[in-house]
Amino acid sequence: MSADKAPLVRVRQLEKRFDLSGGLLDQLRFREGRLTRHREYVHAINGVDLDIEPGEALCVVGESGCGKSTVARTVMGLLSPTAGEVHYEGQRIDNLSRAAAMPYRRKMQMIFQNPYASLNPRMTIQQTLEEPIRFHRRDWKPEQVQAKVAEVMASVGIDPDWGKRFGHEFSGGQRQRIAIARALVVDPEFIVADEPISALDVSIQAQVLNLLKEAQDSRGLTYLFITHDLAVVEHFGTRVAVMYLGRICELATTATLFAKPRHPYTQALLSAIPRLEDERPNHIRLQGEVPTPVQLPSGCVFHGRCPYANARCKEEIPRLIATDDGTRVACHGVEEGRL
Amino acid sequence: MALLEVNNLDVRFAVRGGDLKALRGISFSLDKGERLGLVGESGAGKSVAAFAILNLIARPGYIAGGEVLFDGRNLATMKPRELRDIRGHRIAMIFQDPMMTLNPVISIGTQMVETLQAHRRISTADARAIAIDNLRKVQIPSPEKRLDQYPHELSGGMRQRVIIAIALLLEPEIIIADEPTTALDVTIQAEIMALLLELCEQEQVALMLITHDLGVVAQVTQRMLVMYSGRIIEQGPTRDIIHHPRHPYTQGLIKALPQVGEPGTRLYQIPGSMPSLNRVPPGCPFNPRCPFVMERCLETMPDYVRSGAVDVACYEVEDRLAAGKAILEVGQ
Repeated sequence: MSADKAPLVRVRQLEKRFDLSGGLLDQLRFREGRLTRHREYVHAINGVDLDIEPGEALCVVGESGCGKSTVARTVMGLLSPTAGEVHYEGQRIDNLSRAAAMPYRRKMQMIFQNPYASLNPRMTIQQTLEEPIRFHRRDWKPEQVQAKVAEVMASVGIDPDWGKRFGHEFSGGQRQRIAIARALVVDPEFIVADEPISALDVSIQAQVLNLLKEAQDSRGLTYLFITHDLAVVEHFGTRVAVMYLGRICELATTATLFAKPRHPYTQALLSAIPRLEDERPNHIRLQGEVPTPVQLPSGCVFHGRCPYANARCKEEIPRLIATDDGTRVACHGVEEGRL
Repeated sequence: MALLEVNNLDVRFAVRGGDLKALRGISFSLDKGERLGLVGESGAGKSVAAFAILNLIARPGYIAGGEVLFDGRNLATMKPRELRDIRGHRIAMIFQDPMMTLNPVISIGTQMVETLQAHRRISTADARAIAIDNLRKVQIPSPEKRLDQYPHELSGGMRQRVIIAIALLLEPEIIIADEPTTALDVTIQAEIMALLLELCEQEQVALMLITHDLGVVAQVTQRMLVMYSGRIIEQGPTRDIIHHPRHPYTQGLIKALPQVGEPGTRLYQIPGSMPSLNRVPPGCPFNPRCPFVMERCLETMPDYVRSGAVDVACYEVEDRLAAGKAILEVGQ
């Protein structure tokens, strides 16, 4: 791939494990007359590859525990990967020192799920919004900082005169606007939004989605958008990655995914959204529940719940394979032409 | 006659600086075997309505007026002793968070047996048999084994199935489900909702489903109520309201949902947010956010008008209907 067509963010073979075993004494077990050391891990992400193109909104969807938030945090550098690499504009960033990572921290910003927890309750809105600028633009004069804050506040629909107020004086929707403003004040190129609307009421969700869309159009932003709500994905995303137990099972453009879902899990997930025009629940019934990421199933992680699983699915891990309409699917059934 | 009839129910919370009006005179009824949806955003009074029906409003809240008629008797004024026979027995309730509802230190079986023995003279062996039957009904695999397990050993979906099994134990006439699937993942939510619907149909139980998800209401209920700031602003057959909402708030709620087949378009947005209880404006509570607001809306709360099978509380709709004109749509 030539340098000018390189993706903005590239994630290669990303893996993240969380150690559950506790201290050394917690790890010791006495079994069959012998003392053994026993360690346990949560396998949150198991080999994820993603390319995020400039200007797109890549959505990652999946149910709780599938690793979508861990992907977001690892890309942002809030967590360090157990294995794999994260590249930004061709430069590997997951192994940089704090100082060397600084320019990337300005270019990459994050919006969190819960605006009740993500704003410091002891800082005024003005302070909250000035802090990132003071940190990243040390040479700016106070007037410049204030002008920038006022401009961004106005652009997200918060009256700049409210700067002296504290977070608790605002409603949930307003707080999320302030959280968005905090991400925007340093003029980022890339924003990771981790479930930015799921803590909000329906009528407020529309306001925040419209705002994120406007910001993208006017500033040319690139989004990595994490959500469990497929209706939002269809509205917001250009491409979608569906995750299950730490792996991507399907990656496609939004239109293709909704028109022609290929992976059995994607099909089940799509059918489970309650739609206004439904008269009765009409979802595809899956067997059982999501297994724990502590003991991953062998082979395809979905085989235990998949209605089409065969012997190969139980043993061999499927790889992401491109189909003729550009969708990439990790499913032996699709590869073999069974599905 | 309706199975449950709520008339002009008024619930207040006595706080410093005066009463907060959480329910401001709501009326509706529920027939035998009927499925009714109660929708609205957080703070609209949905859960307060559910609690008030069972007379479960705790201090500083109190029922300031109105009645809840069940079987010809008023639950709002009933003595606690008499209420015990109704709560959990003839009217069962399912709450949002299955981890908070089940007792974490008592096994599933004991919790089920306890429920049965609180209302019936029944031996423990018989009670266990009924419990196993009910666990099987909610499609829990190997129910005999589950009886001796504790809530933390079950997944969220399984716990909610256990809660449904407990609710059905005493063959209630009404189940009130307050956001029963909000804490669950989409695929599990779909399973639980389908199960609840099938069981209610099978056992002829009336269901009052409280949710903020209009899609779930469309799939499960026959009639729906839309609440805003402690008032019911629109009620009628679910399909009718989903396809032709009359009230500007209901219209806005439906238009604000990302719809299938319209990717990338700007969503309709209702300006502002629902006022908190101590800041509800006089007149129609929706007036600061309404695109059709008139002088009258600022002064008095509109009464219900009939449009087809739907009751709406809105002056704009009232005027349009009186003049024989079509109802305006927001965002056009």
